[in-house]
Amino acid sequence: MLAPALLAVAALLLWPLGRVVWMSFQDYGLPQIVTGTSNYNGLDNYADILGQSYLWTTVLPNTVLFALACVTLTVVLGTLVALLLARLSPLWRTLTASAIMTAWAMPAVTGTYVWIWLFDPLGGAVVTGLDGLGLVDAGDTNWFTDRLGFYAIATLNVVHHGFPFVAITIFAGLLTIPRELHEAGIIDGANAWQRFWAITVPSIRPVFSVVIILSTIWDFKVFVQLYLMPGGSGANPDVLNLGVWSYVESFAQRQYGMGSAIAVLLTLLLLGITTVYIRTLFKESEEL
Amino acid sequence: MRTRLIAVGAALGLLACGAAACGGSGSADDRALTVWIMEGTNPDSRPFFKEVREAFTERTGADLKVQYVPWPDAHDKFTKAMAGGTTPDVAEVGSTWTTEFASAGALTDLTERTGRAGLDEDLVSGLREAATYEDRLYGVPWYAGVRALLYRKDVFDKHGLAAPTTWKELQDTAVRLKTLEPKMIPFPVVGDSEYALDAFIWGAGGQLAVEKDGRWKSAVDSRKSVEGIRFYTDLATRHGVSTKAAATWNEADLVDHLTAGRVAMAVSGSWTPSAVLAAAPELKGKLAAAPIPGPDGGVSPSFLGGSHLAVFNTARDQDLAWELVELLSDAEFTAKWAEQSGYFPGQRPLVEKVRDGGEPLVAPFARQMLEGGTTVPTTPAYGQVQGRKTLAQMVQAILTGKKDVERAAADAARDMDRTFGD
Repeated sequence: MLAPALLAVAALLLWPLGRVVWMSFQDYGLPQIVTGTSNYNGLDNYADILGQSYLWTTVLPNTVLFALACVTLTVVLGTLVALLLARLSPLWRTLTASAIMTAWAMPAVTGTYVWIWLFDPLGGAVVTGLDGLGLVDAGDTNWFTDRLGFYAIATLNVVHHGFPFVAITIFAGLLTIPRELHEAGIIDGANAWQRFWAITVPSIRPVFSVVIILSTIWDFKVFVQLYLMPGGSGANPDVLNLGVWSYVESFAQRQYGMGSAIAVLLTLLLLGITTVYIRTLFKESEEL
Repeated sequence: MRTRLIAVGAALGLLACGAAACGGSGSADDRALTVWIMEGTNPDSRPFFKEVREAFTERTGADLKVQYVPWPDAHDKFTKAMAGGTTPDVAEVGSTWTTEFASAGALTDLTERTGRAGLDEDLVSGLREAATYEDRLYGVPWYAGVRALLYRKDVFDKHGLAAPTTWKELQDTAVRLKTLEPKMIPFPVVGDSEYALDAFIWGAGGQLAVEKDGRWKSAVDSRKSVEGIRFYTDLATRHGVSTKAAATWNEADLVDHLTAGRVAMAVSGSWTPSAVLAAAPELKGKLAAAPIPGPDGGVSPSFLGGSHLAVFNTARDQDLAWELVELLSDAEFTAKWAEQSGYFPGQRPLVEKVRDGGEPLVAPFARQMLEGGTTVPTTPAYGQVQGRKTLAQMVQAILTGKKDVERAAADAARDMDRTFGD
């Protein structure tokens, strides 16, 4: 019964995946595409990537730190908004939920351009505002050239785009917590902070785990939000993450083997993180 | 999920393409020819190709199927078509891709046919060079654009300034504009634009890369190249006639700021004035162009970018494919296409006519093209250098103060050599 579905999954997912792995062991460029021949170079691509100090000093720290910052901020902000939603009257809840849904519904490309405009060094709202306050000098500021500034703006963008999903999911989780638990907590004299950690978090731990796993996977492979930013498509080598680096290596330079190898490494990294998460998740459900 | 949606969209696009649009050379009709034309050069190429199709059918009796490919997707689309064996018979190929496709073995050698047709003599040399791989010609130059100086004539007239004719004048004019027009950017040094920089490297007598015994070696760290890079970036870092924002601009950003009337003078493409004027009609009559001067007068070489007409190996009827190339290259069609698209024809006598026409926003570009039209190194590896943005990285590092000129040039040269060595 499951065979057709499994076949479809295999054709759509496993075959391309296998091809990427297969290509990562080759020096694969346009001539190979045209002739359809293979050109194995063993582990050269991997040796080349792993031997580059660029990976260890720039790309990997960018990827990991950026993802960590985004996941933390997304989940914290999402949780706070979910708690807010739970306390609002139905009318205000609907209004707030619709407002944050707009941020979610905005396509990543559009959202990114809006953030770029806001932070535009000439006449962007942020620079103009800070210039008016005398904090920066408009025309003498360009946050995009600086690694930290670049990633701060990208983090704002990704968190803004990502928190509504977290908020709505956690809000749905909150609704499943029996009201009596909180009432009992109040009678016992627990304040809001204690009730959150003693009641809310343990009751909906699986929801948090799912949200964290998904956010981690998304934020590790952020591409559009970085690639479209000024300097993000390769002109500023300080700001590439694994996803953009893979694209720049494979498609912009037509070294498909090299790009595939980076993609395989990124997949392995994500697989590792996900495995750890899922194991903790299962362990916890066994303990319960 | 976000990325997955995009992937699904792309897959659907591919399916739609496979079923309907991109039939390729595998069509049932023996006497039909498929041609890919880039979309976005000519505001509306349909009427033009309707005429071409009629003329082609009249000349050969065969049908012509024209498919339009937007510029930004074109390289990927060619690559996919090569992978899937669905390349067209004839295509307009971006001039920096021709040697890459030729070296991959996808294009037909057109040397003999071009010679026999007598097209050879007249071809604009920079474009001809860009189509030459291992001494064989793989594309017939069709049209091209070139970068030169574009400036605000009204602003220059107001302050009694004239278009610069040497590098010293260029620098002095920009520095004067800085005090005369404090609200404008006198001369933006655009970080993510290799081609504006190239003009100054070549102008100083430097090279991007040189070929010796079949091996390419970077020359951006040579004394002369460094001189050019220094002059160009000093305009921003020492003389302050650019703006920090420009360090992360690309050419599209430059056009936006030209349109907004904030830029006094800039290196810009011959196709830019019409785009600027279409978006900002109030600038009509206020723009003028001039060739990029050489250090002590004359004209600095500037990159010629455009298209070749190429025939793919997969074309079953090579003679028929050539008939189309010849038809599109004939003087009447070429001139008409150039006029409609605002680009210059790929044949020298036709460009000379434009130069002598004296149109203020066109003739200086034609002069730049004839006296200084040149091309980037014609090794397929240079496409890779451009993909890595090696030179843009160099300029940005200098503009943001991360590296000094010598160090940035040396790093860029090493990076380029690493790419050539692959």
